[in-house]
Amino acid sequence: MSWADLATIAPLAAAILVAGLVIVTDIVLPGRRVPALIVSFVGLAVVAGLVIAVGAHPATAFAGAYRVDDLTTYLDLLFVAVIALTLMFAPDYLAARDLPLPEFAAVLIFALSGVLLISASGDLLILFLGLELMVLPGYLLAGFAKRDALSTEGAIKYFLLGSFSSAIFLFGLAFVWGLTGTTRIDGVATALRAIVAGSTPLTPGLAMGLAFLTTGVAFKIAAVPFHYWTPDAYQGSPTPVTGYLSVVPKVGAFALILRLFVGALGPLSADWDIIIVLLAAATMTLGNLVALTQDSVKRMLAYSSIAHTGYMLIGLAAWSSPNSRIEGLEGLLYYGAAYAAMNLGAFAVIAALQRRTGISSQLESFAGLGRREPFLAILMTLFLLSLTGIPPTAGFFAKAYIILAAVQAGGPAGILAVIAVLNAAAAAFYYLRVVVYMFMREPRGEPAPIFLGRLMRLGLIVAAVLTMVLGLVPGLLLPIVGNAARALTL
Amino acid sequence: MNIADLPLISLITFVPLVGAVVIAFLPRNQPGAIRVTALVFALVSFGLSLLLLVGFNPTNPNFQYQEVHDWIPVFGIQYKVGIDGLSALLVVLTTTLSWISILASFRPIKERLKEYMISFLILEVGLIGVFVALDLFLFYIFWEVVLVPMYLVIGIWGGSNRIYATIKFVLYTLVGSLLMLVAILATAFSFQGATGSWVGAFDFVTLRGFAATSGFAGNLQVFAFLAFFLAFAIKVPMFPFHTWLPDAHVEAPTAGSVMLAAILLKLGAYGFIRFALPIFPAAARTFGPLIIVLSLIAIIYGAIVALVQPDWKKLIAYSSVTHMGFVTLGIFIFQEQGLQGAILQMINHGLITGGLFLLVGVMYERTHDRTIAKFGGLASRAPVYSAAFGFFVFASVGLPGLSGFVGEFLVLLGSFAYNPWVAAIATSCMILAAGYLLYMFQRIFTGELSDFLRGLGNHLTDISPIEMLTVVPLAALIVVFGLFPGLLLHMVQGTVTTVLTELNGVSAIRVFFWQ
Repeated sequence: MSWADLATIAPLAAAILVAGLVIVTDIVLPGRRVPALIVSFVGLAVVAGLVIAVGAHPATAFAGAYRVDDLTTYLDLLFVAVIALTLMFAPDYLAARDLPLPEFAAVLIFALSGVLLISASGDLLILFLGLELMVLPGYLLAGFAKRDALSTEGAIKYFLLGSFSSAIFLFGLAFVWGLTGTTRIDGVATALRAIVAGSTPLTPGLAMGLAFLTTGVAFKIAAVPFHYWTPDAYQGSPTPVTGYLSVVPKVGAFALILRLFVGALGPLSADWDIIIVLLAAATMTLGNLVALTQDSVKRMLAYSSIAHTGYMLIGLAAWSSPNSRIEGLEGLLYYGAAYAAMNLGAFAVIAALQRRTGISSQLESFAGLGRREPFLAILMTLFLLSLTGIPPTAGFFAKAYIILAAVQAGGPAGILAVIAVLNAAAAAFYYLRVVVYMFMREPRGEPAPIFLGRLMRLGLIVAAVLTMVLGLVPGLLLPIVGNAARALTL
Repeated sequence: MNIADLPLISLITFVPLVGAVVIAFLPRNQPGAIRVTALVFALVSFGLSLLLLVGFNPTNPNFQYQEVHDWIPVFGIQYKVGIDGLSALLVVLTTTLSWISILASFRPIKERLKEYMISFLILEVGLIGVFVALDLFLFYIFWEVVLVPMYLVIGIWGGSNRIYATIKFVLYTLVGSLLMLVAILATAFSFQGATGSWVGAFDFVTLRGFAATSGFAGNLQVFAFLAFFLAFAIKVPMFPFHTWLPDAHVEAPTAGSVMLAAILLKLGAYGFIRFALPIFPAAARTFGPLIIVLSLIAIIYGAIVALVQPDWKKLIAYSSVTHMGFVTLGIFIFQEQGLQGAILQMINHGLITGGLFLLVGVMYERTHDRTIAKFGGLASRAPVYSAAFGFFVFASVGLPGLSGFVGEFLVLLGSFAYNPWVAAIATSCMILAAGYLLYMFQRIFTGELSDFLRGLGNHLTDISPIEMLTVVPLAALIVVFGLFPGLLLHMVQGTVTTVLTELNGVSAIRVFFWQ
């Protein structure tokens, strides 16, 4: 360990420190919300600054176990932004339910340290460590409303299946480690390349390892048929947490996939790409079909987030064809950012609606919102249109990019492109149903007006601006995404 | 500063957007200000579009008033707009009907006026954008932008079954357009593969040039053409993709129906002429005969179904299916008169059906009913209205001297050269058209005043001056283009020649066993 190593992990260390500081603040000034928020936001800004500073010079630390490249920087900034947005959306909701904000902030920032570790992994064990650091705070957050039976039920399901899948994942890692003799990502890739060059069919051990690893990550990203925990966990969680859960653990798991499947298992891509194609097709189709039948908007968005997992998987499937290595990854990474902005935004609107306790996320709660709360209704429409993929929003460009990569890849991925757009058309039905309720139905009774806190309002505006900007001027993000994608393939 | 230096097309396209933003900041309790603002911005856009016509040079075969800015350089995607004769006419048609529609909405729309005007102005942005975009990506974006305001217009201000109608409209359109997106991306990628560069991969002019010199691979052409075909055929709408149209028309508010019939239906036909034929000429030749058969079915089927419609608006909606069948027939016989006729028919159908829907709306305001059987003898109570309606009915029937005649006549002429049987079938349908339109006219306007109308008493007034103002410009244009069709033909000759030259050089791809 050298000073240079320590400097390289500065953002990670800072994130853990910030989380600790938030707790200390809460001890010194118990129950005070504003100081905790100030510490959190300043801390997140510092982390972001460190990410940029460290990311300017790609490096490895701890003998290659920790690795900072353009991909790390991109993902880290995305995660910091998502955490900051979640922190903006949460206070109103938590206050109305007497839930402690400082603890919430601290747990959230601990989770950030997990994803920072994933995106900077140079070693499979570090990757696993990061994964666990990311999901453990997630279990806490899912059960954050601990007196609410649904929240507890969701958290337990999430915890059980999460631990189960982590174990499966670890089992797969053990196989890969046993057969390649190393846990360094580039070492594994080199060893696998030698194995693949030697014999064409996979050895049973490797096949087992690959199967376990795929199953493990499929659980984490909630790909069909490993998605059953998602709707309950999402619906039960406090709404700002749902927004968080639908973005950070998912995109974090995709970061893990990039490090693991592209970085380490890339030489085996001929063996895993068809699995990914099937997973993608099943995930987007089933996610959309089930979303069609939901009456709770929160649950509908839970299924829709499963469908979006499917779209993102297309990027990975496209990567495995030599035609579209860069485009596939770029599409996936761009989709991650677009998805984060629009999905967080949509959940934030629900959280705003539910600021008063006792308001369900049923479609009925949205009736007449266009007249009652034009600001919220217009933003929700924007987020929903973006989720549908209507231009000129972020969701549209992201989807177009993924489809372009798939078309470029050709073969099975090309078929995925067609499946994806048919799915997108079907998805329009359930997204627009919310718009129908907001603008074309009248509310029952006279719902009370909704008061929006300043942070909430700011957060919503930020999410909306991001959703528009990523759609109108994708050129802003494309070079960054391009560098990130190339960092992985080189 | 010279007029030529102004980004005229962008101004025309985005002035309504500025209007929408301004209206968003107007207070809700001042409906007068909202109405006037919307009208003013629509009129400014209209005035600018007339400037476009003044400076247009029909003898120049290139796209004029071009504006090119890099947008997403990695993929060579540009903000590229420009017009030829075809797009110029359609832009002016759009701007004309936009202000007319806004004017026609002054009285009927009282609920959520602000949102209504914003939707309408954004709709106008999307429509103009579709007609001027020369970059496929940009075209797609405008194409989808049209969808959202129309969805809201039908869904919020529509009739009793509006939600079913609007969702059906959106889903139909999205299925087609999303497949078109895949086709656009596949085409661009295929171009990139052939030339090794993304520069120009989405640029229509480059793609057209590529199609004319080396041509796209047969497989790609077939797939991409079918995807484009689906998107455009749903929009036209061609049989059997037309079922969203009657629902949407019946439920939409008057101005919504007007824009739907007059402009939105032209998007599909425009797409065929502008993009599908020049970029995939061989595939277009392959599927041409099939599309001609579908067009003939649409012509006859639309007319027969129109004959038995009990609802005033639905009858006119089905007559649109027939009339648009003539357009697709004219396009896919790949022959000069046919294409000229198709383009003329697009413009004229916009004017005539737009007028008919406006007039139906005028009467609906008074009666709140559109069941034909309840009407009768209207001519005795509203003579001016009846005369106006009669004028548009005769224009729609295709009375010589009015513009409806010219387009259909040219299409028939072209189809006779293509195949006399096709012409014979299409012509026989003109008799049906006369049948259903005149039968409707007779039932509504002639004879004894019906009990229903008598029951309305003094509410049943004749057409008001403002309402007259909305249809008179259309009527004037119908007469002018009926007497001097050369005005239009002169404008679009360049487009027609370019499209046909590209088609003539290629032969069909073997897809079916009989080819």
